[in-house]
Amino acid sequence: MECYSEQTCALAVDGELAVDEALRLRDHLTTCRRCRELVDALRAENRVLSESLQELPEEAACPAGFSPPGWSWVWRDLALMAAVLALGSIISVWFDELSIPAALEWFNPFSPSGFTNLMFNLSYYFAHGGTAMLTEYAGVVGGLFLLSLLGGSALLLARRRRLPKPGLRLLMVLLMLALPSFALERRHGEFVTVSASETVDDTLLATGNTVRVEGVVNGDLLAFGRIVEVRGTVKGDLVTFAKRTVVSGTVEGRIYNFSQSLDLDGQLGHSIYGFAQSLRVNDGGHVGDGIVVAAGEVSLEGEVKRSVDILTSGNADVSGSIGRDLTMAGVSLTLTNTARVGGNLSARVHQAKEVHIADGATIAGKRDIQVQVRKSRFTRPRFYFHQAVWFAAAMLVGWLGLVLFPGFFRATTQAVGSGWLSLGLGVGVLAGVPVAMVVAAITLIGIPISLMLFAVYLAAIYLAKVWVGAFLGRILLKPSRATKGDWVLGLLVGLLILTIVGFIPYLGGLVRLGVVCLGLGAFAGQLYRASRPVMTA
Amino acid sequence: MDAKRNMAKEPQPSEGETKQMEGLGLESVIERAQGHDAEALGEIYRRYVRRVFGLCRYMLNSREGAEDATSEVFLKLQRSIESYDGSIPFPRWLLRVAGNQCIDALRRRQRGLKVFVEFEDGAAVIEAASSAPSPLGAVISTQERAQVRDTIARLPENYRVPLVLRYYGELSYDEIAQELGLERNYVAALIFRAKQELRRRLVHRSK
Repeated sequence: MECYSEQTCALAVDGELAVDEALRLRDHLTTCRRCRELVDALRAENRVLSESLQELPEEAACPAGFSPPGWSWVWRDLALMAAVLALGSIISVWFDELSIPAALEWFNPFSPSGFTNLMFNLSYYFAHGGTAMLTEYAGVVGGLFLLSLLGGSALLLARRRRLPKPGLRLLMVLLMLALPSFALERRHGEFVTVSASETVDDTLLATGNTVRVEGVVNGDLLAFGRIVEVRGTVKGDLVTFAKRTVVSGTVEGRIYNFSQSLDLDGQLGHSIYGFAQSLRVNDGGHVGDGIVVAAGEVSLEGEVKRSVDILTSGNADVSGSIGRDLTMAGVSLTLTNTARVGGNLSARVHQAKEVHIADGATIAGKRDIQVQVRKSRFTRPRFYFHQAVWFAAAMLVGWLGLVLFPGFFRATTQAVGSGWLSLGLGVGVLAGVPVAMVVAAITLIGIPISLMLFAVYLAAIYLAKVWVGAFLGRILLKPSRATKGDWVLGLLVGLLILTIVGFIPYLGGLVRLGVVCLGLGAFAGQLYRASRPVMTA
Repeated sequence: MDAKRNMAKEPQPSEGETKQMEGLGLESVIERAQGHDAEALGEIYRRYVRRVFGLCRYMLNSREGAEDATSEVFLKLQRSIESYDGSIPFPRWLLRVAGNQCIDALRRRQRGLKVFVEFEDGAAVIEAASSAPSPLGAVISTQERAQVRDTIARLPENYRVPLVLRYYGELSYDEIAQELGLERNYVAALIFRAKQELRRRLVHRSK
């Protein structure tokens, strides 16, 4: 009988030959040695193939190889984020070297003032409650994170080619964590003081009930306390978080203020930026540059060399001298007889009678006083433009999330579905993280950690609406497949609904808060689930 | 990074419930998973994630892609498991689902081009006399196995995919044909030619 072809033998070995033909082949094999050897060889070959394939490539061979999808993904993504932040800090150096007009510095997210503004916004939010602040705040942060995400997508290329080893990435994270702790001298206590005879050569970080500088700090002074007093000299900048800050000595740099009240009696080399319940530049006070603040009450009795920009919810009283322009928006403005404005005066108030300019007051430039009648924001085209930009940004962020971290993004979106659990967790996280940040910041290593935590927190608050939107869209559209297109469409629909509902009076604010809590809870839950096995190991 | 993935991380999860799950037979786990029991879905994930990932890894030839596909398979499983009727063994069914996912991914990657186009002389190939090297020997060391794997990974897609589905996924020719939307005969030809090509490359490599 004629021998069988290799193809037929291969089919037989694969068990794919029709039964009768397989039987015929079996009979043939009993008599034909050549075919028997061929079938044996093919069988062995199949075994080799199966066995070779069963041993997965190294990366997937051990559970630790693939399992990290959970944990190593967290690390990888954290590392990516850290890398982006590192990139951001490099850019920030470059940004710093650009000469940005002092008044605009405030908006520059890479400058300490820009960054600390965000911090203040947040503490304000928690102190006063409400969601409007949060959305605004999330808005600013959104811009920052858009930048980060763009950087992240560039890094995606590297990630696709799996260039860096996990260890290297971890090193990068550690380096990132370590960097801010350079050049920091740290003091903590009930009463922290730099005595008159003392000179601190580094940047000084001081936390205490009362922080008092009578001597000289050659670097910056970062002070957290109930009362912060500078009687001596700070050669760098002063960053202060306090109930009350009094500068009667000299600050040669700038003041970034997050204190409830700031009193300047002494000399300031550059500008004041920040937020305060009350800002006073007293008679003896001298500001070498300008002032950009948002404050409840402002009183300027001393001298300001350049421009003053004030956003106030109360009164602005000027009896001192302002070298350039005075720009204010708020409730009322008073210029006394001794007031002097070297440039233009522009004021935005709600009622004309709230502007009091004494006859003796000197204004070198133009007076531009505008009464702003509050119109509904819905009548202004700018409002719609603004919303459209925000909508597009949220879509972009969502899309990047889908592309960069598809598994995590989708899982978090699905976690939104756990409803009350996510909501409860979200409320806890929303309130708990700031506390955790403060606690973490008490230790030296904790400061960068708390800053990173803060960054993640902000990102999550911003992303909350994206996740909830995506979830809502999927519920409504019920797509049968899960391609990126379906997700993006779901996101579009969900976000649109959330945005519109957000404008309903009263209910809208509640919905927004709910969305933030839900999204935050889903994110926290997802992070927890991702890290749990490692923690129990 | 999703929850289910992580359940697979721990060969011995510390939680009592998961342990309980471990002892359960596959059938009852599937039954519970069909009732949307998260623990059961997690258990399925724990048991099969490596196999599924392996298939995706071979088929897509990219770790990143395989991770995405794997997570997609298990995400979809929450719904798709309802359609599992027990007519074929579950692992095989799951690998078919994963295979489908990968083929979708491959097609997307090719931007709509047909990945698996039939040869014009498809039938002729089957009966063509083979001048290729004889089948691989049975005894093969670990190192050589890695070489075999590596060579398979470098095979063109239309050889690699059916080969992997057959010898890793252990799908039948019919099942592969169904997944790829091809004639069974053509699948047989592809697998046959894939093996010949593999032998040729391995021989060439060892020279």
